Amino acid sequence: MDSVAAMSLDDANWTAYEAGARAAIDAALSDAELDAARVAWLGRKSELVQALRGVRDRESGMLLNGVRGRLETAVAERETALQQLLWEAAADSGVDVTIPGLPVERGRLHLLTQIRREIEDVFLGMGYEVWDGNEVATVWENFDALTSDPGHPSRSINDTFYIDSDTVLRTHTSPDQIRAMLARTPPLYMVSPGRCYRRDTPDATHSPIFLQVECLAVDRGITLADLQGTVLQFFRALFGEDREVRMRTSFFPFTEPSVEFDVTCFICSGRGCATCKRSGWIEMGGAGWVDPDVFRNVDLDPDEWQGFAFGFGIERIAMLRHGLPDLRAFWENDLRVLGQF
Amino acid sequence: MKVPVSWLREYVDFSWRLEELARRLVFTSTEVDRIVRRGVPDTGDNLKHFVVGRVLEAGKHPNADKLQLTKVDVGEAEPRSIVCGAWNFGAGATVAVVVPGGVMPGGEFTIEKRKLRGEVSDGMILSERELELGQDHGGIMLLSDELEPGTPLADVVPVGDDILELETLNNRPDLTSIYGIAREVAVLTGGELRPMPGTEPERVADEPLDIRIEDLERCPRYIGRLFGDVQVGDSPAWLKARIVGAGMRPISNVVDITNYVMLALGSPLHAFDYERLAEGRIVVRRATQGEALETLDGTARELDPEDLVIADGERPIAIGGVMGGANTEVGESTTSVLLEAANFEPLTVLRSGERHHMRTESQTRWEKGVDPELAGAAATYASQLLAELAGGRWSGEAEVRADVHAPANIAFRPAYTEAVLGLEVAEAEQRERLEQLGFDVSADWQVTVPTWRARDVRREIDVVEEVARFRLEDVPLTLPRRQAMFGRLKHEQRLRRGIEDVLVGAGFYEAYTYSLQPSDPDPSAIELPVPLSSQQRLLRTTLAVGLLSAARHNVDSGNERIRLFEVAHVYLPQQGGVPREPWRLGGILQGDFFAAKGAVEAVFSALQVEPRFERARPIEQATVGATVQSGWVAQYGPLGLDGEWSAFELELDELFMLVPERVLYRDVVSYPPLRLDLAFVVDEGVPAGELAAAIREAAGEELQAVRFLSDYRGDQIPDGKKSIAFAVAFQSAQRTLSDEDGARLRNVVVEALGSRFDASLRA
Ligand SMILES: [Zn+2]
Repeated sequence: MDSVAAMSLDDANWTAYEAGARAAIDAALSDAELDAARVAWLGRKSELVQALRGVRDRESGMLLNGVRGRLETAVAERETALQQLLWEAAADSGVDVTIPGLPVERGRLHLLTQIRREIEDVFLGMGYEVWDGNEVATVWENFDALTSDPGHPSRSINDTFYIDSDTVLRTHTSPDQIRAMLARTPPLYMVSPGRCYRRDTPDATHSPIFLQVECLAVDRGITLADLQGTVLQFFRALFGEDREVRMRTSFFPFTEPSVEFDVTCFICSGRGCATCKRSGWIEMGGAGWVDPDVFRNVDLDPDEWQGFAFGFGIERIAMLRHGLPDLRAFWENDLRVLGQF
Repeated sequence: MKVPVSWLREYVDFSWRLEELARRLVFTSTEVDRIVRRGVPDTGDNLKHFVVGRVLEAGKHPNADKLQLTKVDVGEAEPRSIVCGAWNFGAGATVAVVVPGGVMPGGEFTIEKRKLRGEVSDGMILSERELELGQDHGGIMLLSDELEPGTPLADVVPVGDDILELETLNNRPDLTSIYGIAREVAVLTGGELRPMPGTEPERVADEPLDIRIEDLERCPRYIGRLFGDVQVGDSPAWLKARIVGAGMRPISNVVDITNYVMLALGSPLHAFDYERLAEGRIVVRRATQGEALETLDGTARELDPEDLVIADGERPIAIGGVMGGANTEVGESTTSVLLEAANFEPLTVLRSGERHHMRTESQTRWEKGVDPELAGAAATYASQLLAELAGGRWSGEAEVRADVHAPANIAFRPAYTEAVLGLEVAEAEQRERLEQLGFDVSADWQVTVPTWRARDVRREIDVVEEVARFRLEDVPLTLPRRQAMFGRLKHEQRLRRGIEDVLVGAGFYEAYTYSLQPSDPDPSAIELPVPLSSQQRLLRTTLAVGLLSAARHNVDSGNERIRLFEVAHVYLPQQGGVPREPWRLGGILQGDFFAAKGAVEAVFSALQVEPRFERARPIEQATVGATVQSGWVAQYGPLGLDGEWSAFELELDELFMLVPERVLYRDVVSYPPLRLDLAFVVDEGVPAGELAAAIREAAGEELQAVRFLSDYRGDQIPDGKKSIAFAVAFQSAQRTLSDEDGARLRNVVVEALGSRFDASLRA
């Protein structure tokens, strides 16, 4: 530095100063070396900064500030270059990035829970509450209040698990309609997912224990059109935005009119495939306009309140959407199956 | 319900294509499973290959003893040479022939000209079975000799038919008959509905007939008709074709007629061999204890006093509405027939069917509720056919019936239909639809229900449905116009989702196990009186049993690192009424007590609840166990599974009560903590958890954390004692704690533990 300090204030000398500084900066091979060069040529005690302090005329000021600006840029550039060199050196170390990372343990929600939550969320979004209903029901809740005929075959001990003559394992989630209407004052909008029981011998499509989701809307002026619009939103959320729905006439004791809902096949988009039995439509389940007698049974005035209801099978939705052939898989809890979803 | 379309067309004219009819019926009336073809396919010009033939020559095949070689005139210039395996005909017989190129029923097999044992066979002579008209009776089908050779076979024999396969809804007994479907088709297509079939034959005598009904509630109507000179035999081909097309089996003309009329009109009938009726009487009554009956299916049945039976003067001869008895079966020797056209109450038939494990065509109709008025029409139509097809001479009749209910009259508001559908439906359209369906509609909208709909149309809303079902395809898609929106998960529902997610994050898989289990630790668990199997007989009071079998299943499947949890109801018996169904969280995993305990601690931590464990044996198979607020943790003893297994179960609603409403901020940032490691020597029996709790209590507010480090026995520790070490952190939100503060807090802790547990600080 001593030689530099001896330099005088003329252009040629400052050109040489700049060249010397540049050489030192570009020769730096680490952050420490670069910092040393910066202190020597640009630091508070450097020839350049000392000279700048003594500047009195505009011309010298411009010259020296020009040198300083260029050298500062050079330092910054060298810094970036050095970082690049470091990255390149590290990348050269030959790490096999395809080797798995350190394991983080993680389980899975059961597919039926995933679907149940999806359904709940769709209806929460539409302003419904989620109802948790008991699975043991009185005969009144499960049948009578729903105006089921005393001779209806579903009441038979061949179809229904009785605990005693007044108590059954609910055969559908519909008793929750009754419980909800007794517990709440309308307007009432609720979905109720849960376990149901029927005396079916287990096979690929039957299980004595299965899941349903009930939906009930009670308000003033509810129509079948509202039911259809709601079911459309539901199926679009679960099966894709392009789905369409249709209603066919059907019969359930507690709805009048009763309908059956179909959704356009999401596998073939309506062209026809094995899943939809070449029809382009998939049967999804029963629904309808709440029978006025059901309202009377829970002391609601059917002239004031109207409603719609549906009950769909959750396993059926899961099987259709994910291609499971056998619903017994849901109850076997094999990690190899649970882990897929 | 299988509907032969030719039969349907006999009652209603319609021009729609079948596929379109089926598509629309699905919306308005009934599910249509499919359309199938019975008999000869109707594709292209296939029917042209099926013609009437007259046998000109018939003799033994020169090279085969069992074959005939024939020459058959089929209306062409030259007769055809045909080899045939049947011998029930000879020269002069009129037969049904298919010529080469004809596709046989089923659509798989095409007739070709070929050589059979050296002789050309240029076609085939047909039997009833080959045309799907019924069983063979040892040969080919013989036709009337009046027919001209070459006449299209389809003009004289029902060679084929399209069959609509319907699934009738339970509330529509009227749709269990061809005529009922025709009525629906007429409304849908605008086609003309013909009058109900049947005209009374001549009545030749007035023999007395004694009919009594002892239970008019279960049998509100009974018509008995006597027929003499009956010739039991085969039904004509057209009748067989219809019976087969409708999915039943032809038996004999008399039986076929009762079935045919049941299919046509929907009111089942029965025919008894009148000569075998003791005292020639009919008594409709309950069975008495000890009575038995061999039914037509050959099964001997013990009757129940709840069974409604048809009896003669001595014994039951039929289970009402279900099946007739073998003792009065119509057979080849029968010459006099008692025809029963009755009405049975649905529940009686349903219960008898259940009791005797029977399911017959008539039963399924009675169970839905048949219009009692149909019995008369059915009697008329069956009488006509008995006279025409079995030579029967109508010689007597008796009828007993309960009082007729006046048809329901309903005040109807057309605007109600629009309110239900959310769709405008013109009044004129509503009126027209109802009238087409057989309802009578007055000028001021009083609606009278036809008898065949009396059961399911009783109220205004039922009338609405009759109009609405024809407009379902037009209903718009709207959402309820809400005045209030209040949808959200309840607190406990959110917490349930939260702990599910915590466990999934901790490597657990969620399981769904059965609510019904083969065993339960609680002897008071509710047992199903009639379980489906011994594997599913008890309503569980714990999730542990199901989870253990799920774990076993996974071990058997070769899975590793098994960790399962379930969130579900258990069913706790209560005094009177339904059981209590609290939500439980259960878990099972490979690992010792502390593996399960760690999972429980994670759940508590997620819920911001401090768990307190106390040593206990919470379940039978536990070797190490503890209770914790709302539940338990345990390590299982030997289960016959490799390694150590542990489990836990928590009652969620109870646990959620402990969750703080909100968590308040503590300043742990402004001033540094003061950390100390403290080891105490205590008696072997002192639990570490109690020491930690005591430290927390003694140090008070300034204690920020106390963490268990280790327990140690051995060198420098006297026998019967142990050393337990904790990492303790003190912190204040107001100031930096000084060394003096540290010494003070340390002394407080040491003194407290010294006096409560006789603990001494280890140097
Ligand atoms: Zn499809």
